[in-house]
Amino acid sequence: MQISTEELADGVTRIALDGRLDIAGASAVDLKMNVAAGSANKLLIDLKNVTFLGSMGLRSIVLPARAVRSRGGKVVLFAPGEMVESVLKTSGIDSILPIYHDLAAALAALQ
Amino acid sequence: MPGETAAQSEPHLTIESRLEDLALLWPWAESIADIHGLPAATRFAIHLCLEEAISNVIRHGYRGELGRPVTVQFASQPDELVFTVEDEAPAFDPLDESREDQAPDASATDQIPLGGQGIRLLRKFAGSLVYQGLPTGNRLTMRFPIQR
Repeated sequence: MQISTEELADGVTRIALDGRLDIAGASAVDLKMNVAAGSANKLLIDLKNVTFLGSMGLRSIVLPARAVRSRGGKVVLFAPGEMVESVLKTSGIDSILPIYHDLAAALAALQ
Repeated sequence: MPGETAAQSEPHLTIESRLEDLALLWPWAESIADIHGLPAATRFAIHLCLEEAISNVIRHGYRGELGRPVTVQFASQPDELVFTVEDEAPAFDPLDESREDQAPDASATDQIPLGGQGIRLLRKFAGSLVYQGLPTGNRLTMRFPIQR
């Protein structure tokens, strides 16, 4: 599991995850996720290249998202694949962290 | 023997009760998926349910105790694949609904659930789930329908 961070326009932080967010993948990125989200107030978590998501991986998303929201910030989930999106919806996470497949809409939601 | 694969000669996998050992599951399950030509969605569901079921055993059944066995058996039926997870933990029904977290409430800005998603995911992604208490452990049978 790889993680990269990018600062976009209008103060948006994009965290991109690449690979399997299983127990091993979650362990590999947890610290980096929390550091990357540490000062973000507008966070876009790019799931386009996430090929697997389990409940431990959900934690890797929820913990930094919770930190951002506790500061009054906003978080969106971007472009999960079909099965990853099914996991997100089954967990109900999407009712709190909205999913977008259109980048412009995702960025607009963070403003 | 020619044409025989690891999965055909090893229809079961035993790991120790360490979350790190879950990494052994992926190649084992992938080899089974390859043999049966499974589509991506079925592979995903199998990997997900195995990870959720076995991590539940390790974290809740064995309560983090190391060195305890978790065995996964595989069997192929005409229209489904069957994975059975057995352990030697105290009686623990992973399908017990009291373990399932309530779905998050979007109106509560800090109510993002951290855990307890495993049972919800198992119910969604496995074709069927059957729990049996054993004299010295637990058995969870998961079935995944396939098309041949």
